[in-house]
Amino acid sequence: MADSFLHLARPLGPVSVGTAPTTAPLNVVIQPQAIFSILDHSLRRNADQERVIGTLLGTRSEDGGEVEVRSAFAVGHSEAEDQVEVDMEYHKQMLALHLKANPREVLVGWYATASELNTFSALIQNFYSGQGDGTWPHPAVHLTVSTEPGKDLETRAYISAPVGVTAERAADSAAFIPVPYELRYGEADKSGLEAIANAKDSEERSTTVTSDVEALERAIEEVIAMIDRVSRYVESVIDEEAPASTAMGQFLLNALALAPKVEPADIERDFNNHIQDVLVVSYLANTIRTQMELSNRLATAQLTLGGGEAAKEGGEGQRNNNQRKGGRNQRQDRAPTEEARA
Amino acid sequence: MAEYVSWNPVTQTVRLIWNLRAQAPLAAVKVEALVVMKIIKHCNQTFPTTATGSLVGMDIDNTLEITNSFAFPVVEMPTESHFDNAAPNPAAAAPRAKANAAYQAEMIRMMREVNVDANNVGWYTSANMGNFVNMNVIENQFYYQKEMNERTVALVHDVSRSAQGALSLRAFRLSAKFIEAFKENKFNSEELQKSNLRYQDIFDELPVEIHNSHLITSFIHQLQTPKTAPTDLPASLAALEASPFSQSSVLSPNLDNLSLSIDPFLEKNCDLLLDSIENHNTEVNNYQYYQRVLGREQQKINNWKQKRAQENATRATLKQPPPPRGRVAARLESMLNTRQVEQFSRQVDSFVSSTTGKMFAVKGNLLPGETAK
Repeated sequence: MADSFLHLARPLGPVSVGTAPTTAPLNVVIQPQAIFSILDHSLRRNADQERVIGTLLGTRSEDGGEVEVRSAFAVGHSEAEDQVEVDMEYHKQMLALHLKANPREVLVGWYATASELNTFSALIQNFYSGQGDGTWPHPAVHLTVSTEPGKDLETRAYISAPVGVTAERAADSAAFIPVPYELRYGEADKSGLEAIANAKDSEERSTTVTSDVEALERAIEEVIAMIDRVSRYVESVIDEEAPASTAMGQFLLNALALAPKVEPADIERDFNNHIQDVLVVSYLANTIRTQMELSNRLATAQLTLGGGEAAKEGGEGQRNNNQRKGGRNQRQDRAPTEEARA
Repeated sequence: MAEYVSWNPVTQTVRLIWNLRAQAPLAAVKVEALVVMKIIKHCNQTFPTTATGSLVGMDIDNTLEITNSFAFPVVEMPTESHFDNAAPNPAAAAPRAKANAAYQAEMIRMMREVNVDANNVGWYTSANMGNFVNMNVIENQFYYQKEMNERTVALVHDVSRSAQGALSLRAFRLSAKFIEAFKENKFNSEELQKSNLRYQDIFDELPVEIHNSHLITSFIHQLQTPKTAPTDLPASLAALEASPFSQSSVLSPNLDNLSLSIDPFLEKNCDLLLDSIENHNTEVNNYQYYQRVLGREQQKINNWKQKRAQENATRATLKQPPPPRGRVAARLESMLNTRQVEQFSRQVDSFVSSTTGKMFAVKGNLLPGETAK
């Protein structure tokens, strides 16, 4: 996904004497929720704003070679012809609030929702990479996500090197250097992303959360579609409509060879064992539910039977007996069920 | 009655919202993709500890739109308390903690400045295998519905179940009946009989809908379209395996739920069920103990009353306070427990239905002759 045309050593920032400067390449990893935050902010910008900016938070690997952008928050700013105003007070407060809830994350850089880099970008970049409140001595990552209507969303990641001869010039200039980035999502994000992706083709852009069986159905449909596609390809190769490929054939053969070779009797046995386990657990779970409900009902219903404390006590005792008997029943029931299934 | 103007930057409309007491009840919850991802991230980071956070959004007609969220800070527990099971879980109690009310107010105030819908609409929590029916959740949600805003929900994200394939995100509210009872702590047998409150009535579940913004829709479409045009056929197997097409695509359907590993899930569920039975028994014993003590105390009071009456019949009858009802919540605990068990068994049911399907499919595949018979 990264632009592969450029490979540069990381530029040297102003390094204090004594610390060894690192020039190892930098890799930026972006997690989906950070991108989503940026897109959300872009939607919520004021009508007169061309672009909006915000702060990126995340983690840095120990050697500083990888920056993982985990979350982002918006920062208000306004741009005019010749000046830019960024609400730094807001940034600081929000950062403090965010770090309180996510102590493991640190400031890693900032984002803007336009691909364009200008003087203001350099100014803001210098603030974020500066000493004190900035990311110094680590480079600050600048992420641009273009959200122009009618065009592809384009994401770019940069770090910067200081340029400029005099101090005044250095403050508002920076050489932005593109760095490779990748979008990485964890195992856990997968289910969420899948649910979100389900809505991509619907008119209302929304979807409901699916149940287990529905999810299974969809997965199976997907697999069937994949098999269809492959068999169509194979057919067209046999009919000499598509060019054949040894590599493809080898790959398909390897995939087919993954089907296990097991004795029918073994399958039968394993199948029966497992299906029994599954059904027994289901049965027991429902029995327990019924038992508990019964027990609660008895506890609240006993007073209608008349009597007083004594009846209550009796009811309790009886209920416990019931329960114990129920427990035995369960165990007795279990055996016949298993036999029945076998 | 409150009136406020809300500017919706997405639809570019100004909406005048009248917040009346007698509104139509909430019927559905619409969650933005951003919130889904944020919750997943937060819950996974802290797993298996409970994670909680706040939800902001807007309440439109009878749909609650959740458009953003943020995590609650957790006070780190000292390490030794891990051995103490009775130690309260600070994360689970976070939504109603005093410090967090301030945090939440501050955060919402900050969010308002950048055009986020700055109304608190509830909170979220993580769960492990559906074990979310407990006092903490009840008290949090009660706090939200009572103190903050009546129209709030609790979103429950089940980390373990989501890891199995399908996303598990559910929205709950306390039912009006339960709120009524909980407010006055009417959970002894007589009151329960009168109100006819049952464990099924604790929560109202609302359907959850996931909603994407236009930008996210286009982003997702873009992710799924490879940037490079299909090239020539690969020259060798190694080239094929290395090509970007054989890498699993970013959003290809999750095939995790085709996995046949059923034992861990069943085991975990059985454990949880056993725990629930244990709890239930403890509660029953507690209740019985309470009843016995109550009986004895009553006896004592009666004896004493009689004595006093004999001693001084002319005096006004005593205003003896009834014995302290220490364990009135006893029935509540067991009610919650039953609700929890119901949750587990539903979970097992749903798991069983998909698992048996999968197993028959596998069997049919491996033994093609058998199914034909």
